[in-house]
Amino acid sequence: MKKIIILLFIFSAISSGLIAQNGKKYGNKLTLKEKTSIAAIQENPEKYVGKTVLVEGLIVDVCEARGCWIDIASDKEFGKMRFKVDDGVIVFPMDEKGKMVVAEGVFEKITQTKEQLIEYGIHYAKEHGTTFDPASITKGKTTYRLKGTGAVVK
Amino acid sequence: MHWRKLLKVLHRDIGYLAVGLTVIYAISGIAVNHISDWNPNYSIKKSTLILDSIPSNSSKDAMVTYVLNAIGETGKLKNSFRPSPTELEIFVEGNTILVNYETKEVTQEKFNSRFLIKETNDLHLNKIKGAWTYIADLFAVALFFLAISGLFLIKGKNGITGRGTWLTLIGFAIPIVYLIVYYLINS
Repeated sequence: MKKIIILLFIFSAISSGLIAQNGKKYGNKLTLKEKTSIAAIQENPEKYVGKTVLVEGLIVDVCEARGCWIDIASDKEFGKMRFKVDDGVIVFPMDEKGKMVVAEGVFEKITQTKEQLIEYGIHYAKEHGTTFDPASITKGKTTYRLKGTGAVVK
Repeated sequence: MHWRKLLKVLHRDIGYLAVGLTVIYAISGIAVNHISDWNPNYSIKKSTLILDSIPSNSSKDAMVTYVLNAIGETGKLKNSFRPSPTELEIFVEGNTILVNYETKEVTQEKFNSRFLIKETNDLHLNKIKGAWTYIADLFAVALFFLAISGLFLIKGKNGITGRGTWLTLIGFAIPIVYLIVYYLINS
Protein backbone atom coordinates (compact mmCIF):
# COMPACT_ATOMS: atom_id res chain seq x y z
CA MET A 1 0.00 0.00 0.00
CA LYS A 2 2.85 2.37 0.88
CA LYS A 3 4.38 1.76 -2.55
CA ILE A 4 1.07 2.65 -4.26
CA ILE A 5 0.83 5.89 -2.27
CA ILE A 6 4.43 6.81 -3.11
CA LEU A 7 3.85 6.06 -6.81
CA LEU A 8 0.69 8.21 -6.82
CA PHE A 9 2.57 11.14 -5.29
CA ILE A 10 5.42 10.77 -7.79
CA PHE A 11 2.91 10.68 -10.68
CA SER A 12 1.14 13.79 -9.37
CA ALA A 13 4.44 15.62 -8.89
CA ILE A 14 5.62 14.81 -12.42
CA SER A 15 2.23 15.76 -13.87
CA SER A 16 2.10 19.08 -12.06
CA GLY A 17 5.70 19.79 -13.11
CA LEU A 18 4.76 19.30 -16.74
CA ILE A 19 1.79 21.61 -16.24
CA ALA A 20 3.98 24.27 -14.63
CA GLN A 21 6.34 24.24 -17.61
CA ASN A 22 3.43 24.84 -20.00
CA GLY A 23 1.55 27.18 -17.67
CA LYS A 24 1.74 30.24 -19.90
CA LYS A 25 0.71 28.51 -23.09
CA TYR A 26 -2.97 28.40 -23.93
CA GLY A 27 -4.72 26.23 -26.49
CA ASN A 28 -3.06 25.01 -29.66
CA LYS A 29 0.57 25.54 -30.51
CA LEU A 30 1.21 28.69 -32.53
CA THR A 31 1.72 27.84 -36.18
CA LEU A 32 2.59 31.20 -37.72
CA LYS A 33 5.96 32.89 -37.40
CA GLU A 34 5.18 36.27 -38.90
CA LYS A 35 3.17 38.69 -36.77
CA THR A 36 0.60 41.07 -38.16
CA SER A 37 0.10 44.44 -36.53
CA ILE A 38 -3.32 44.92 -34.92
CA ALA A 39 -3.40 48.46 -36.30
CA ALA A 40 -2.85 47.13 -39.84
CA ILE A 41 -5.71 44.66 -39.41
CA GLN A 42 -8.06 47.30 -38.01
CA GLU A 43 -7.23 49.76 -40.76
CA ASN A 44 -8.33 47.29 -43.44
CA PRO A 45 -10.38 44.60 -41.68
CA GLU A 46 -12.17 43.19 -44.73
CA LYS A 47 -8.80 42.13 -46.15
CA TYR A 48 -8.19 39.83 -43.17
CA VAL A 49 -11.64 38.28 -42.64
CA GLY A 50 -11.31 34.47 -42.65
CA LYS A 51 -7.52 34.57 -42.45
CA THR A 52 -5.38 33.15 -39.66
CA VAL A 53 -3.16 35.82 -38.13
CA LEU A 54 -0.62 36.07 -35.34
CA VAL A 55 -0.74 39.26 -33.27
CA GLU A 56 1.15 40.60 -30.28
CA GLY A 57 0.16 43.13 -27.66
CA LEU A 58 -0.65 43.97 -24.09
CA ILE A 59 -3.59 42.20 -22.43
CA VAL A 60 -5.80 45.08 -21.29
CA ASP A 61 -8.91 43.17 -20.23
CA VAL A 62 -9.91 39.61 -19.37
CA CYS A 63 -13.37 38.02 -19.17
CA GLU A 64 -13.97 37.98 -15.42
CA ALA A 65 -16.58 35.24 -15.29
CA ARG A 66 -15.21 32.56 -17.60
CA GLY A 67 -11.84 33.74 -18.89
CA CYS A 68 -13.24 33.23 -22.39
CA TRP A 69 -11.82 36.37 -24.00
CA ILE A 70 -9.06 38.89 -23.68
CA ASP A 71 -8.67 42.34 -25.18
CA ILE A 72 -5.27 42.97 -26.74
CA ALA A 73 -3.99 46.53 -27.08
CA SER A 74 -3.20 47.71 -30.57
CA ASP A 75 0.20 49.07 -31.52
CA LYS A 76 -1.73 52.21 -32.40
CA GLU A 77 -2.73 54.33 -29.40
CA PHE A 78 -6.24 53.84 -27.92
CA GLY A 79 -6.94 50.74 -30.04
CA LYS A 80 -7.61 47.18 -28.94
CA MET A 81 -8.84 43.89 -30.39
CA ARG A 82 -11.03 41.18 -28.85
CA PHE A 83 -9.50 37.68 -28.81
CA LYS A 84 -12.40 35.27 -28.20
CA VAL A 85 -11.91 31.62 -27.34
CA ASP A 86 -14.40 28.79 -26.90
CA ASP A 87 -15.71 28.54 -23.33
CA GLY A 88 -13.69 26.03 -21.33
CA VAL A 89 -11.30 25.18 -24.17
CA ILE A 90 -8.99 28.06 -23.26
CA VAL A 91 -9.41 29.87 -19.94
CA PHE A 92 -7.46 33.05 -19.26
CA PRO A 93 -6.97 33.88 -15.56
CA MET A 94 -7.49 37.49 -14.51
CA ASP A 95 -3.85 37.69 -13.44
CA GLU A 96 -2.84 37.81 -17.11
CA LYS A 97 -4.17 41.35 -17.40
CA GLY A 98 -1.24 43.72 -17.94
CA LYS A 99 1.03 41.09 -19.52
CA MET A 100 2.18 40.75 -23.12
CA VAL A 101 0.63 38.06 -25.28
CA VAL A 102 1.34 36.52 -28.66
CA ALA A 103 -1.97 35.18 -29.94
CA GLU A 104 -3.10 33.30 -33.02
CA GLY A 105 -6.58 33.01 -34.42
CA VAL A 106 -8.92 33.44 -37.34
CA PHE A 107 -10.05 37.00 -37.96
CA GLU A 108 -13.82 37.13 -38.18
CA LYS A 109 -16.62 39.57 -38.84
CA ILE A 110 -19.56 39.65 -36.44
CA THR A 111 -22.79 41.30 -37.44
CA GLN A 112 -25.10 41.86 -34.49
CA THR A 113 -28.71 42.96 -34.50
CA LYS A 114 -30.04 45.63 -32.14
CA GLU A 115 -31.61 42.89 -29.97
CA GLN A 116 -28.34 40.98 -29.72
CA LEU A 117 -26.47 44.12 -28.71
CA ILE A 118 -29.00 44.86 -25.96
CA GLU A 119 -28.72 41.30 -24.67
CA TYR A 120 -24.92 41.54 -24.63
CA GLY A 121 -25.04 44.97 -22.95
CA ILE A 122 -27.21 43.59 -20.14
CA HIS A 123 -24.86 40.60 -19.71
CA TYR A 124 -21.74 42.79 -19.70
CA ALA A 125 -23.23 45.24 -17.19
CA LYS A 126 -24.20 42.39 -14.87
CA GLU A 127 -20.76 40.80 -15.16
CA HIS A 128 -18.91 44.06 -14.51
CA GLY A 129 -21.32 45.55 -11.97
CA THR A 130 -22.01 48.55 -14.19
CA THR A 131 -25.19 50.07 -15.57
CA PHE A 132 -26.59 49.72 -19.07
CA ASP A 133 -29.40 51.58 -20.77
CA PRO A 134 -31.01 49.48 -23.52
CA ALA A 135 -32.32 52.71 -25.06
CA SER A 136 -28.73 53.65 -25.88
CA ILE A 137 -28.76 50.98 -28.60
CA THR A 138 -30.66 52.20 -31.63
CA LYS A 139 -29.36 49.88 -34.36
CA GLY A 140 -27.22 46.82 -35.03
CA LYS A 141 -23.52 46.98 -35.80
CA THR A 142 -20.63 45.07 -37.31
CA THR A 143 -17.58 44.26 -35.25
CA TYR A 144 -14.43 42.27 -35.87
CA ARG A 145 -12.54 39.94 -33.57
CA LEU A 146 -10.02 37.15 -33.52
CA LYS A 147 -11.43 33.67 -32.94
CA GLY A 148 -8.57 32.41 -30.84
CA THR A 149 -6.87 29.06 -31.29
CA GLY A 150 -3.71 29.50 -29.24
CA ALA A 151 -1.75 32.04 -27.22
CA VAL A 152 1.45 32.45 -25.27
CA VAL A 153 1.48 34.95 -22.41
CA LYS A 154 4.94 36.31 -21.61
CA MET B 1 -13.41 -15.21 -3.87
CA HIS B 2 -17.17 -14.90 -4.39
CA TRP B 3 -18.03 -12.24 -7.00
CA ARG B 4 -20.07 -10.14 -4.53
CA LYS B 5 -17.26 -10.16 -1.99
CA LEU B 6 -14.78 -9.09 -4.69
CA LEU B 7 -17.19 -6.34 -5.74
CA LYS B 8 -17.40 -5.09 -2.14
CA VAL B 9 -13.60 -4.99 -1.83
CA LEU B 10 -13.20 -3.12 -5.11
CA HIS B 11 -16.10 -0.77 -4.31
CA ARG B 12 -14.57 -0.03 -0.89
CA ASP B 13 -11.00 0.64 -2.09
CA ILE B 14 -11.91 2.58 -5.25
CA GLY B 15 -14.39 4.49 -3.08
CA TYR B 16 -11.58 5.48 -0.70
CA LEU B 17 -9.48 6.66 -3.66
CA ALA B 18 -12.37 8.66 -5.08
CA VAL B 19 -13.30 10.51 -1.87
CA GLY B 20 -10.83 13.39 -2.38
CA LEU B 21 -11.83 14.18 -5.95
CA THR B 22 -15.53 13.66 -5.22
CA VAL B 23 -15.38 16.32 -2.50
CA ILE B 24 -13.44 18.66 -4.82
CA TYR B 25 -15.91 18.16 -7.68
CA ALA B 26 -18.89 18.59 -5.34
CA ILE B 27 -17.59 21.93 -3.98
CA SER B 28 -16.76 23.18 -7.47
CA GLY B 29 -20.04 21.86 -8.86
CA ILE B 30 -22.04 24.09 -6.53
CA ALA B 31 -19.67 27.01 -7.13
CA VAL B 32 -19.88 26.98 -10.94
CA ASN B 33 -23.55 26.03 -11.01
CA HIS B 34 -24.33 29.56 -9.78
CA ILE B 35 -21.96 31.41 -12.10
CA SER B 36 -24.70 33.84 -13.12
CA ASP B 37 -25.03 34.96 -9.49
CA TRP B 38 -21.39 35.23 -8.47
CA ASN B 39 -17.85 34.89 -9.76
CA PRO B 40 -16.74 31.42 -8.60
CA ASN B 41 -13.03 32.11 -9.12
CA TYR B 42 -12.38 35.66 -7.98
CA SER B 43 -13.58 38.05 -5.37
CA ILE B 44 -13.65 41.46 -7.05
CA LYS B 45 -13.95 44.73 -5.16
CA LYS B 46 -14.58 47.97 -7.01
CA SER B 47 -14.09 51.42 -5.54
CA THR B 48 -13.99 54.95 -6.84
CA LEU B 49 -12.35 58.09 -5.53
CA ILE B 50 -11.81 61.59 -6.88
CA LEU B 51 -8.30 63.05 -6.83
CA ASP B 52 -7.84 66.67 -5.80
CA SER B 53 -5.73 67.34 -8.84
CA ILE B 54 -4.08 65.66 -11.79
CA PRO B 55 -0.86 67.07 -13.28
CA SER B 56 -1.37 68.34 -16.79
CA ASN B 57 0.98 67.60 -19.67
CA SER B 58 2.87 64.91 -17.81
CA SER B 59 4.16 61.79 -19.53
CA LYS B 60 2.37 58.46 -19.19
CA ASP B 61 5.06 57.10 -16.86
CA ALA B 62 4.98 60.23 -14.68
CA MET B 63 1.19 60.01 -14.52
CA VAL B 64 1.35 56.36 -13.48
CA THR B 65 3.77 57.19 -10.65
CA TYR B 66 1.64 60.15 -9.56
CA VAL B 67 -1.61 58.15 -9.45
CA LEU B 68 -0.08 55.17 -7.63
CA ASN B 69 1.35 57.50 -4.98
CA ALA B 70 -1.91 59.43 -4.70
CA ILE B 71 -3.98 56.31 -4.01
CA GLY B 72 -1.29 54.60 -1.92
CA GLU B 73 -0.99 51.58 -4.22
CA THR B 74 2.25 49.73 -3.49
CA GLY B 75 1.65 46.54 -5.51
CA LYS B 76 4.00 45.50 -8.30
CA LEU B 77 3.40 47.59 -11.43
CA LYS B 78 2.85 45.44 -14.50
CA ASN B 79 2.01 47.88 -17.27
CA SER B 80 -0.25 50.71 -18.39
CA PHE B 81 -2.52 51.50 -21.31
CA ARG B 82 -4.43 54.48 -22.64
CA PRO B 83 -7.89 53.31 -23.75
CA SER B 84 -8.85 56.86 -24.84
CA PRO B 85 -7.29 60.34 -24.96
CA THR B 86 -8.80 61.15 -21.55
CA GLU B 87 -8.17 57.86 -19.76
CA LEU B 88 -5.27 55.86 -18.41
CA GLU B 89 -5.40 52.27 -17.24
CA ILE B 90 -2.74 51.02 -14.81
CA PHE B 91 -2.18 47.32 -14.21
CA VAL B 92 -0.79 46.37 -10.81
CA GLU B 93 -0.65 42.86 -9.31
CA GLY B 94 -4.22 42.21 -8.17
CA ASN B 95 -5.51 45.65 -9.12
CA THR B 96 -6.59 47.50 -12.26
CA ILE B 97 -6.79 51.26 -11.93
CA LEU B 98 -8.67 53.44 -14.40
CA VAL B 99 -7.96 57.17 -14.31
CA ASN B 100 -10.12 59.74 -16.01
CA TYR B 101 -8.12 62.94 -16.64
CA GLU B 102 -11.22 65.09 -17.07
CA THR B 103 -13.23 64.05 -14.02
CA LYS B 104 -10.14 63.16 -11.90
CA GLU B 105 -12.00 59.97 -11.06
CA VAL B 106 -9.95 56.91 -10.16
CA THR B 107 -11.70 53.54 -10.31
CA GLN B 108 -10.00 50.55 -8.78
CA GLU B 109 -10.86 46.93 -9.40
CA LYS B 110 -9.07 44.75 -6.88
CA PHE B 111 -9.30 41.01 -7.30
CA ASN B 112 -8.25 37.99 -5.30
CA SER B 113 -8.53 34.31 -6.10
CA ARG B 114 -11.14 32.59 -3.97
CA PHE B 115 -8.94 30.42 -1.78
CA LEU B 116 -9.41 26.69 -2.50
CA ILE B 117 -12.60 27.27 -4.52
CA LYS B 118 -10.66 28.52 -7.56
CA GLU B 119 -8.32 25.56 -7.28
CA THR B 120 -11.24 23.13 -7.12
CA ASN B 121 -12.76 24.84 -10.20
CA ASP B 122 -9.45 24.59 -12.08
CA LEU B 123 -9.42 20.85 -11.44
CA HIS B 124 -13.13 20.25 -11.98
CA LEU B 125 -13.29 22.21 -15.26
CA ASN B 126 -9.87 20.91 -16.32
CA LYS B 127 -8.49 24.39 -16.90
CA ILE B 128 -4.98 23.10 -16.36
CA LYS B 129 -5.25 20.50 -19.16
CA GLY B 130 -2.18 18.30 -19.73
CA ALA B 131 -1.90 15.09 -17.71
CA TRP B 132 -4.85 16.14 -15.55
CA THR B 133 -7.15 15.26 -18.45
CA TYR B 134 -6.22 11.59 -18.02
CA ILE B 135 -6.49 11.66 -14.22
CA ALA B 136 -9.99 13.14 -14.60
CA ASP B 137 -10.85 10.42 -17.13
CA LEU B 138 -9.73 7.77 -14.64
CA PHE B 139 -11.88 9.42 -11.98
CA ALA B 140 -14.90 9.33 -14.32
CA VAL B 141 -14.32 5.62 -14.93
CA ALA B 142 -14.01 5.09 -11.16
CA LEU B 143 -17.31 6.90 -10.56
CA PHE B 144 -18.98 4.77 -13.23
CA PHE B 145 -17.67 1.64 -11.55
CA LEU B 146 -18.83 2.84 -8.11
CA ALA B 147 -22.31 3.58 -9.47
CA ILE B 148 -22.73 0.19 -11.14
CA SER B 149 -21.02 -1.89 -8.45
CA GLY B 150 -23.08 -0.10 -5.81
CA LEU B 151 -26.24 -1.61 -7.31
CA PHE B 152 -25.12 -5.14 -6.54
CA LEU B 153 -23.49 -4.81 -3.13
CA ILE B 154 -26.56 -5.81 -1.13
CA LYS B 155 -28.97 -8.65 -1.80
CA GLY B 156 -32.47 -9.13 -0.46
CA LYS B 157 -35.36 -6.70 -0.07
CA ASN B 158 -33.06 -3.67 0.19
CA GLY B 159 -30.98 -4.74 -2.81
CA ILE B 160 -31.42 -4.05 -6.51
CA THR B 161 -34.17 -6.64 -6.79
CA GLY B 162 -36.26 -4.90 -4.13
CA ARG B 163 -36.21 -1.35 -2.82
CA GLY B 164 -33.12 -0.62 -4.98
CA THR B 165 -35.12 -1.02 -8.21
CA TRP B 166 -37.52 1.77 -7.33
CA LEU B 167 -34.92 4.18 -6.00
CA THR B 168 -32.70 3.58 -9.05
CA LEU B 169 -35.65 4.18 -11.40
CA ILE B 170 -36.47 7.42 -9.57
CA GLY B 171 -32.84 8.46 -9.98
CA PHE B 172 -33.04 7.94 -13.75
CA ALA B 173 -36.52 9.47 -14.00
CA ILE B 174 -35.59 12.82 -12.40
CA PRO B 175 -33.31 14.04 -15.26
CA ILE B 176 -35.37 12.36 -18.00
CA VAL B 177 -38.70 13.86 -16.88
CA TYR B 178 -37.06 17.24 -16.31
CA LEU B 179 -35.60 17.23 -19.84
CA ILE B 180 -38.93 16.18 -21.43
CA VAL B 181 -40.79 18.97 -19.62
CA TYR B 182 -38.02 21.45 -20.48
CA TYR B 183 -38.10 20.61 -24.19
CA LEU B 184 -41.91 20.67 -24.29
CA ILE B 185 -42.03 24.12 -22.71
CA ASN B 186 -39.23 25.54 -24.86
CA SER B 187 -40.18 23.99 -28.19
